[in-house]
Amino acid sequence: MAILHSPQYSSDQTRIIKLPIGSKTFLEGPAGVGKTTIGVERMLHLMDTGVSGNTILVLVPQRTLGTPYIQAMNLPGVVAGGMVSVLTHSGLAQRMVDLFWPLVAGPAGFARPEEQPVFLTLETAQYYMAHLVRPLLGQGYFASLTMDRNRLYSQIIDNLNKAAVVGFPCQEIGDRLKTAWSGEPGQSKVYEEAQACAALFRGYCLQNNLLDFSLQIELFWQHLWKSELCQQFLIRSFRHLIVDNIEEDVPITHDLLADWIPQAESSLVIYDSQAGYRRFLGADPVSAYHIKELCDQNFSLTTSFVPSQEIQSLSVYLRGALARNPAPKPKIDPRPAIVHETHTYYPQMLDWIAAQISQLIDDEGIAPQNIAVLAPFLSDSLRFSIVNRLANRGIPVKTHRPSRSLREEPATFCLVTFAVLAHPAWGIIPTKFDVAHSLMQAIAGMDLIRAKLLTDIVFRIRAGIPTLSPFEQIIPTTQERISYVLGEKYERLRLWLAEYQQASPGELDHFISRLFGEILSQAGYGFHTDYDKGQVAANLVDSIRKFRRVVGNTLLETGVDMGKEYIQMLNDGVIAAQYMPAWKAQTEQAVFIAPAYTFLTNNYPVDVQFWLDIGNRSWSERLYQPLTHPYVLSRNWPGDKTWTDSEEVETGEQVLSSLVYGLLNRCRKRIYLGLSEYNEQGYEQRGPLLQAFHHILQGLAEG
Amino acid sequence: MSLPRGFIFSQSSLQDYVDCQRRFQLRYLLHQKWPAVEAEPYLENERRIDQGSKFHQIVHQHLVGVPENEIKISIANDEVLEAWWNNYLHSIRDGVLASIQLDNNPHFEELTLSAPVGDFRVLAKYDLLLCQTDGKWLIFDWKTSENHPKRKWLANRLQTHIYPYILSKAGACLGGGEAIDPDLVEMIYWFTNFPEQPERFSYNQASYNDDLRTISSLIAAIDQKTEAIFPLTPDTRRCLYCTYRSLCNRGVEAGDIHHLEEWLEPDAPDELRIDFDQIGEIEF
Repeated sequence: MAILHSPQYSSDQTRIIKLPIGSKTFLEGPAGVGKTTIGVERMLHLMDTGVSGNTILVLVPQRTLGTPYIQAMNLPGVVAGGMVSVLTHSGLAQRMVDLFWPLVAGPAGFARPEEQPVFLTLETAQYYMAHLVRPLLGQGYFASLTMDRNRLYSQIIDNLNKAAVVGFPCQEIGDRLKTAWSGEPGQSKVYEEAQACAALFRGYCLQNNLLDFSLQIELFWQHLWKSELCQQFLIRSFRHLIVDNIEEDVPITHDLLADWIPQAESSLVIYDSQAGYRRFLGADPVSAYHIKELCDQNFSLTTSFVPSQEIQSLSVYLRGALARNPAPKPKIDPRPAIVHETHTYYPQMLDWIAAQISQLIDDEGIAPQNIAVLAPFLSDSLRFSIVNRLANRGIPVKTHRPSRSLREEPATFCLVTFAVLAHPAWGIIPTKFDVAHSLMQAIAGMDLIRAKLLTDIVFRIRAGIPTLSPFEQIIPTTQERISYVLGEKYERLRLWLAEYQQASPGELDHFISRLFGEILSQAGYGFHTDYDKGQVAANLVDSIRKFRRVVGNTLLETGVDMGKEYIQMLNDGVIAAQYMPAWKAQTEQAVFIAPAYTFLTNNYPVDVQFWLDIGNRSWSERLYQPLTHPYVLSRNWPGDKTWTDSEEVETGEQVLSSLVYGLLNRCRKRIYLGLSEYNEQGYEQRGPLLQAFHHILQGLAEG
Repeated sequence: MSLPRGFIFSQSSLQDYVDCQRRFQLRYLLHQKWPAVEAEPYLENERRIDQGSKFHQIVHQHLVGVPENEIKISIANDEVLEAWWNNYLHSIRDGVLASIQLDNNPHFEELTLSAPVGDFRVLAKYDLLLCQTDGKWLIFDWKTSENHPKRKWLANRLQTHIYPYILSKAGACLGGGEAIDPDLVEMIYWFTNFPEQPERFSYNQASYNDDLRTISSLIAAIDQKTEAIFPLTPDTRRCLYCTYRSLCNRGVEAGDIHHLEEWLEPDAPDELRIDFDQIGEIEF
């Protein structure tokens, strides 16, 4: 069965796709030269020539990068047979830990090897970190830092993860950070405290069979891969390896591949020669490149199929300007590839962007999915501002994450408020505002005025217990104002809550599921046929259930009510702050709004890119992270060297140049520059990217 | 509504369509989550699902070579699982599962095969596939239901048809490129609570042809549907154990798990399984 998708492959591409089955190949080149296309077609070619799909492992640094492989496999033209596994290193590690847990739990130092492992998500890991670190904060830990507590917890977790993926003992985190530090001496104490917290967390995990990301990776690499049973199982199961975007993967993955490739029947390793955008997540293009030495065939592709000549010219100009390099300029004028307009205020710039996108779709026929709106960081308010403007014009939008965090959703607010009312023993008292808004969400047709009126009358706090009184006790004229129809619905809800209180309380997820199913999603209530609210409620139940299943036993031992604890953690922002559903209903035919790095690591080209806020220094500067350091905690940093300002500046320039190159390699036609004199916060900014554009345009204007 | 390109069918999704078209639409086309209670008591339902998943896992562990004593230790605090495990061990030594360890027969555990049917693909995830020395292929499916279902009911389930069909159609890759003769395929349901009462279904070319017709026409019918809301099941008993009951105005409270018809072995809802994908997204 012929399976090549397109007859337009170059001879190089066809040659690589059709290499003999036993080949071990290294393929490199910049974005846009068709490397992933080759990977996908190679996978299909292997299957077409008799290799069973279930013996092929496609390894990618993040799940989204596996999408082209999965989509290709799902097409009817693909030969019948086993399914290819498309996994990340961590996905593979989790599956192996789960399968071989009885073999390694004891040797790895878990205190209760006979019990099941508990896999921690980011939010439950953060919960446990908060649980352990909070008392230390009271003792003066991190007293010199002014930062959000959740960021503090996440940076300690980040350090553990870096140690695992780079491959050094987690006991060395503090020393590595201290050695590289050249600023105020007080910072050394902060690093020592960060080290102590990491050690405390690791010890707690081992004591309680908890597996955070770092422990999963370490368990897999240090125990499972070294177990003959597990290693042979993997090598026999997956005899063919296709590794895409290896430069975005972490050193421990490269170590794994260095062991595995010589034992595999075939391999294709794909390397983007100008990337490595996930360095802040531990990506290491240097160690990735060493894999080339293990391959018997090397190919380098250079002809890009994506950017226009003007965009390619702009790329050369821009990188020259950023490097302050007077190298010869291309003959092609890049200006047709740049559209820009300066505005005084930020909202004006956003209006302009929305208008331009609308015009591109309506007048030029550019499909929404071929447009990306990019910024160095995307705050909730900025995302809302753009989404709202585009929605008003009927333009579909997808963002890199749900528009709002789970805890900020009105449906969550409503469900949690009723949970609090139904569990007075928790001692949490909702405000009248909370109750009125929840009634408005819960009962179809209930407007804010009537909800407030009803709440003012029925909601009381008696002896510290919040209560709702019956509708029938309201005087008839007010009943009429609220309406009997709404009153009846309120009464059914109130009686349901009262009946629940009479019985012994159940689990919080059970309560929410019942309230949703038996009342709020029934006809006449606010969640009935509201698919979005159903989705939010499902995510909430899912989050609570995972929380219960992970921390339930710990709380039981300490006598803390799980439901109360969940709600307190929710309010503190420890959990459900950025809850990602497993499947998010986002249309693919939509304008993509994302931070620039998210767009790069999703790795697909578009016709037009909008770059927002190019005066912002965040295009080149890294986040303020006082407890961690992505460059120091890497394999390439000499252990005895100090990180100085010149390294900071040099790294920033390299990062910006690489970012610009990556974005332009994923743009076919034009770049729109969103310029405003004052940024979102009202400050004037003139970062290096803005200066580089000024330099280019001025130079071209002067001829 | 025509199906999206690349849509994949499974026995579960096709069975859902046969049972209730609206359920299929909500679950697989709209991916609509609707978090009402599936069955009461809630925690007992959750425990049963957990035990079913765990049994599949320990058999998988056993088949890939994890020593029996290590597995036994890992389930020591669960009497039900321990009983199932002992039943399995007994059957694999002296009972109906003995062929699994006989003559080093090649076996494939937790394997997914897929094959094109018309403009789409159908996949089947097998608990265990075994190739005997006489060339016969056995499909094993572990069932952890409390009761033994009626043979007739099992015979009518799409799983009984789709699994042998897909193996015959897509199994060549497992047998060194040789197509698998449907006459050499057998489907075996093995029950953890009734280890000596498996249900065996032989297969043949005529069944293969019938199944191809059935599956193709089902898929074609789904692809041609244009209604905004697919028809609801006429059997309202099903709604008792369906989380969409309020969306469809088909009831308020969930059914009692103890009254669940013996054949309605609950599927593990996605949110109860270890969600590796969710964990996999963590990039610290």
